[in-house]
Formats: sequence, C-alpha cells, structure tokens
Amino acid sequence: MPHNAVGREIPEEIAGKALRPFQGAFTTVPQGRKAAGPLKTIRPGTNKVVPSLEEAIKNSGLSDGMTISFHHAYRDGDLLVLKVVETCARLGIGDLRLFPTALFPCHEGLIPYIEEGVVSRIEGSMNGPVGAFVSQGGKLREPAVLRSHGGRWRAAECGEVKIDVAFIAAPCADQCGNANGLFGENACGPISFSVIDSWVADHVIVVTDNLVPYPAIPPEIEQGYVDQVAVVDRVGDPSGIVSGTLRITRSPTQLKIAHLAVEAVKAAGLVRDGMGFQAGAGGISLAATDFLAREMRKSGVRAAFAIGGVTRFLVDLLHEGLVGAILDGQAFDLESISSLREDVRHQIITPGFYADYNSLGCATYMLDFAFLGGTEVDLEFNVNVVTHSDGQLLHGIGGHQDVAAGAKVTVITIPTIRGRIPTIREQVTTVTTPGEVVDLVVTERGIAVNPRRPDLKEDLKRAGLPVRELSEMKAEALRLVGEGSSPVFGDEPVAVVQWRDGTVIDIVRKVEGWQ
Amino acid sequence: MEILRAASCGSEERSDAQVRVQPAPALSITVHSKTGPMYRSRIEEVGREVISRYGIAQAEVEIKEQGAYDHVIAARLEGALFRATGGGEAFHHPIPLQGERKASPHDRLRRTRLYVPGNSARLLAFCDTFDADCLLFDLEDAVPPEEKDAARFLVRRVLATLDFGGTELWVRINPLGRGGEEDLKVVLGGRPHGICLPKAESPVQITELAGLLYQLEGRCGLPWRVWIMPIIESPKGVAQAFEIAQASERVVCLAFGAEDYVREVGCARSWEALLWARSQLVAAAKAAGIQASDTVYPDVEDEEGLREETGRVRGLGFDGKGVIHPLQVRPVHEAFAPTQEELSWARGVVQAAEEARAKGKGAVAYQGKMVDRPVLRRAERLLELARELGMEVRDAA
Repeated sequence: MPHNAVGREIPEEIAGKALRPFQGAFTTVPQGRKAAGPLKTIRPGTNKVVPSLEEAIKNSGLSDGMTISFHHAYRDGDLLVLKVVETCARLGIGDLRLFPTALFPCHEGLIPYIEEGVVSRIEGSMNGPVGAFVSQGGKLREPAVLRSHGGRWRAAECGEVKIDVAFIAAPCADQCGNANGLFGENACGPISFSVIDSWVADHVIVVTDNLVPYPAIPPEIEQGYVDQVAVVDRVGDPSGIVSGTLRITRSPTQLKIAHLAVEAVKAAGLVRDGMGFQAGAGGISLAATDFLAREMRKSGVRAAFAIGGVTRFLVDLLHEGLVGAILDGQAFDLESISSLREDVRHQIITPGFYADYNSLGCATYMLDFAFLGGTEVDLEFNVNVVTHSDGQLLHGIGGHQDVAAGAKVTVITIPTIRGRIPTIREQVTTVTTPGEVVDLVVTERGIAVNPRRPDLKEDLKRAGLPVRELSEMKAEALRLVGEGSSPVFGDEPVAVVQWRDGTVIDIVRKVEGWQ
Repeated sequence: MEILRAASCGSEERSDAQVRVQPAPALSITVHSKTGPMYRSRIEEVGREVISRYGIAQAEVEIKEQGAYDHVIAARLEGALFRATGGGEAFHHPIPLQGERKASPHDRLRRTRLYVPGNSARLLAFCDTFDADCLLFDLEDAVPPEEKDAARFLVRRVLATLDFGGTELWVRINPLGRGGEEDLKVVLGGRPHGICLPKAESPVQITELAGLLYQLEGRCGLPWRVWIMPIIESPKGVAQAFEIAQASERVVCLAFGAEDYVREVGCARSWEALLWARSQLVAAAKAAGIQASDTVYPDVEDEEGLREETGRVRGLGFDGKGVIHPLQVRPVHEAFAPTQEELSWARGVVQAAEEARAKGKGAVAYQGKMVDRPVLRRAERLLELARELGMEVRDAA
C-alpha cells in the first residue's frame, strides 16, 4: 500500500472511489470548474411556504440513495437532522447519505436509523456517540469521510459531494427563503456553513419556526437559491450552542499552558498592532484569550481582527477596542449573537471566506497566530483531533487544518496527560493536521519548537521561556502514567480523513483488540 | 495482616480512585477503569503488589478509578487497608523512592512556598510542573479530619514517586498532639526535605519536633537532616519568634501566617496592621541567621496586588512568600529578582571595595556613601542571587 507524505498507508481506492494520498499542505493544484445547482425560475407570486417538513420532503423528490445536507449552528441543540431522518424513514426513504457539517451527542438517536439502513453513509464530523458507534466498524455501507470546515466547503463547491437536498435550519426566514441565524426566539448565530449547500444542491429547503414578514435580513441564505420554506414547531434549541466552558478555567495546568502559549507568541514578536488571531472556546483557548487581552492592555496593542469560535469574551474585547473586528463563523453563546445583530464590526463569515483551499483568499492566511488543541501530538509535530488513543472516533476536525495551514505561527496547546492518557506519542493514532503546519507545542512542561522554525526557537530562548524537546516531555509524562496497552487496528477502514485539499491524510481503522 | 471490616478510601474525582476492601475467603481484585482496557491489567498488578506488601492473603478489593496514576491507586488502597485493618507498624515503613533526590542546602532560594492540598489527587496530578522553589504538601487546614489518614498515604506516595527536579519538598503536618506525630511517621517515608509546623508559638514545640525527626529519620533511611519551617501565625508566636528561630539548627526559615494572626489580634488585614509583626519576624529570623517567608496573598485573581505586596515585603527583608496557586509563582519570582538598578549598584559597591583593598585603603565609598561590611555583604548577596537566577549583570554605568 502506498504511503502518503506523513507516512500513512493509504489504499488506492475505497468503495470504488480512487483516493489521492496527501502530498504536502500546499501541493494540490485544483482542476476544473466549480459545481452549481440546476438553473431554475419562478413567476412572481409563487408560494414556497409549506406547512410541514413531511410535505417539503415529498415535494423535493428525495428518494433512496440520495445525499442530504445540514449545518451544525445549533451544535448540541440541533433538532432538524433527526426530524428529517425520522420523516424519511416514515416515508420509506432509505439508504441516505448524510452530509452534515457536524453531528453532536444530541444525534445519538441516529444510531437505530443507521442500523436499519435509513442512513447508510455519513460524510461529516461526528462528535460523541455516533462516532463511537461508527468506530465499531461495519455500520456504514462506505467508510465515513471527515473534512475540515474549509474541506467540506471545497467538497461541495467542486462537486466531490453532490447534494441532492439541502436542509437549512433557520431561526429567522421569510416566505421567499431569505434566512439568517440572528433573530427569533431560537436564534443560533451564523448559519453561513449552509451557504455553499444552497448554491450547489439540486433542491434547497429552508426549515424555520419563525416566519417573518419579507425581507428577512441579513439574508445569509438568499431567496434565489431556495426551493421551499418549511414551517415547523421548533427548529433547534439554542441552549445547545454553548461550547466548552463559559468561565475562564481555574485548572492550574490549563492556565499554565495558556500563559506559556501567550508568552511564546509575545516572544516571537507577534503581539503587535494590527495583528490577527484565532480565538476559540474551551478551557485553554479562553484562558489564552484572557492572558492575551491582559498583555494587550498592558502594552497598548490593538488587534486588527480575531476569528472565532466567538464567545462573549471576544465580544468584550471588541467593545473595549482591543480588537478591531470579529470574523464569526460560529457563535458559542447568546451574547455573541446579540453582538452580531448590533455591531457591524462583528461580521458573519462563511467557511468559503475563511478556510477554503480552492480559493484566492482565506481569512486564516491573515492570522499571525492561532491556539489550537488536539487529542494527541507526535514527535513529528503531527496532530490528531479526531480519534482518541483507544482508536475511537469521537471528534470532528472543525477548522483545525484550515487555521493551522494559514496562521504564521500555529500553537498547539495540550496537557501532556489527559485522564492518565499520555498525549505526546511516538506516532499519533490518526494524523489530522501534519507537522509541517505546526510550529509550537505548548504543554505544562514546556514549549517544543518544530525544527522547521529555528527562528522561533531562538526568540523563545532569548525570552527565557522553557524550550523543551517533545521526546523529553513525553518521557516525563510516561514516568507518571506508565506504559499502558495499545489498540490493535485491523484493515477495515471506518473513516477516511481528508486534508483540506481533498487528499487523504489518514484512514481510521477498526480496533480489533488490545496488546 | 487481616481485614477486620469493610472500608473504602478515595473519591470519584478526576485523577482519583475509590478503593473498597472487605473481608473475603480469598483474594480478588476487580478494576473499573476510566481508560477502559488501556491500564486495566496494570492497575490489577498495582493492587496485588500493595496487598502483598501488607501481607494480606484474603480480601475482596474493588478499584474504581477516574484516570488515577498507579501511585494514587496504591495510596488509596493503603488508605482503605489502614481503615479495614486498624493500622499498625507496617504502614510506617518507607516505600521505595523512584529516581534520585538530592539534599537541599540550608540557605537555598525559597522565593515561593506553594501550598498543595494533601488529599486532592486532582491537584497533585501535575504538581511536578508548578515551578515553585518549595512545594508544601498540606495535611493540616486543607484536609478534613476524617481524611487525614488518607492524605498521609497519598502525600507519601506522591513524594516517593514524582521527579520534582530542584524543588524543595515540604509537608505541613498537623500540630503535635493533634495528629502531627502520625503524619511524620508516614510521610517521612516519602523523603521530604522539610517539615512545616503550623501554629508555632514556643521553642519547646520546635525542640519536640526536632527530637521526633531525629528518631524517625534514621528509621526511614533519610540521607539528610530534615529541615523545619515553623509557621508563626499568632501574636504569641510573633513575640517568641527569635526563640523559635533559634530553637533548633534544623530551622531554616520562619514563615508568617496572617489569617490566624489577624483574627487573634482583632486587627485589619492591612499593610499597616501587619507591619510590626512582619518586621519583628524578619528581624528574628535574620538575627538567628535564617530566612523569612511572608504570608500568602489570598486573592488569586489580583496579580498586580500580589506583585505590589511582594515588592514591599522584599523591601522589609523577606526572602520568600507563600502562594496558593501555581499562577502566583511567576509574579512572586519576578518580584524577588534583583532589578538592574540594584545589580549595577551592587557591582559598583563590590568593585569599589576591590579597588580600595588593592590600594590598601581601609575606608570605602561608593557614590559618595560609605560602604561598610553589611553594605558590602548585601551587594555580594544580590550578585549571588542574580547568578543563581541566570541573570545578566551589567557593569555600573
């Protein structure tokens, strides 16, 4: 079996589809033209509003074997995916391919439908139970496909995945299909991940519980692409969008890592006027944003922009004048949603704008630095974000690859031990992001610098920061936790992990046993 | 040894284990591991090792763990066995030390003494990475009475297992007569460098502790003399500070604890109200030729306040400060680092003294001020500290 550029064996084809092995972060030259949906027209006065999801599905012509797509703006509060799948099952439609941007623990109810064959393929992130279920192997007709935010946009845009029917959950929509995520009782923040779906799908259904008088503004989803507007009782539960913690962590280890990460980018001279940075939710990211803000206050530095995962912490920095603009693809709390409504400096962006490989501009390419997490990192600086060390597929890639590829300095923040599992490995279980786009790994034991960046190493040493080798930190952690058993992988692929350009960076295989 | 009754030890917190033992006709060990199959057989092995160490042949052992390390599981099992058997000499035997540990010099740097709760497996999990000069495992205020036994075993295992590099390791025991003796018998088996005695009020307490240490350190095979750090936290203690500091050669540092002092005196926790006690304590320590370490700064959020207070106590002559969160370590270390101004002054003083000596002159002046022996000693001490901290010392302008 041929090896790709990160040394992983990639079969030439899976399920009759040829796989292109990963060759390097920026080597693929895209070919061909963009995909698009069919040309259509309507007459003035045409009614698109249908009173139920079931009727909309019947009208759409959805049938066995087709592909349906969703966004994940409601995150763990999504109600639409299950509702659509249930309705399809009732209508006798099966063998569906799901193309969500991401699935969450709330989608555990999909499992019986996968077992019955209503859903037979999934191309999208799987956070939690569905991922664990798929990891058992033999559950899907074809291995799942995992893509980054930018990778999914690219796959839809170039026709790699043809969407038959796009379902777009919208907390605010009008009769013509203009829709956004900012208004209504169940406002969830940007629904811009679905913009590409609306452009390329054969049929587009906006699903709303809040039909407003024309026009629904801002029109994140535009009327010209929308076939039907289906009205339901409740489209999603916004309490599920809350990601990570809403308070700065008190964990000494997480705080130490966050602090070191900020000190590192400061030492690299990147904390300066006009900078752009990536802010995330979750313990270490929030704490890092907090330390960064303190540093900015102290030294009078103003950032030009930040990309989120947006939380109220970032919104506060905007209002304080420390950040000039927020580019927002996902809202992680309700305060960010109200900021999107009120402040023009807080802009909705699409994954096409911020992350698409086949594009002449990505917001991530303007990032000076980014703090990203991971489940594992290896001695080659490769990062795993999708599987755990036991081989279970439990997380999506999110924007990890896109941000790492773009930022001038990509910082992986990771404790060396998580619940006894050592995170620095000889080789990661699954390569998600290649070491060539990772610059620093910050742990509670110190900072490892990628040998590709001798300049950074010098900066950090000069600042008196604890520069360490990954192998040293790995040994220290192992001394504490001891050597455990490892999973033995079989040949059966359960998921294909793509690099953002569509090449295959790794395959997740079924766990056969332990040794 | 025999299991007399069912008992358990530990918690369901992250990084901890809950271990139950009960009488049974044979030995059985069941493991419920958070990490699934990854560490299960290893945990069983740890269970067997500990059980055989205490010579137990019959017991039903159940280990439910949340990502606990081997040494935590061992300590929790020891705690459960202690409770189930009623204890005994075997629980005082030292456990093998993993790796090397060096003696700690009398006058080493002690800028920070970081308190770590002795019974929290979660907070102890990463305690080798906190970068304090002194780690202080707390068996006193941080541990509720019913968990004192469990905490002793946990602290002993943590001490014996982790590699703390150059950090000086202390245990704050309970007052003698209130569990302190039992604390010593167990934790000395983990080879700490020093014992912190809370509520020190009279030199007799110190001589009593020194006597106990003399007896026990030989039995535990400790290759060094165990230091003592009395914590002065009452008006009576402040009044006796010099006698306490002088009571034993083992005393290397006097620590100040403001919380109880403030309560007993009935004063405010303000700079003015504590100034006399602080000054008294520093003077007593320095008169006895040892170090002084200030009380903790309780507001973890307020880094600026911490820096300011540390700067001021350094000005009083303190050598270090208590800290209650690893994030406080760095600001305190920075506040204790000599400034470039101080260093260039010190360099100037030392140079002037050298020149005067070369010329055979008795009286030395620098920048128009007389340099007598204490001034020269202070300058030399600053330069030594700078070298120890790896700081660059520039010549006087």
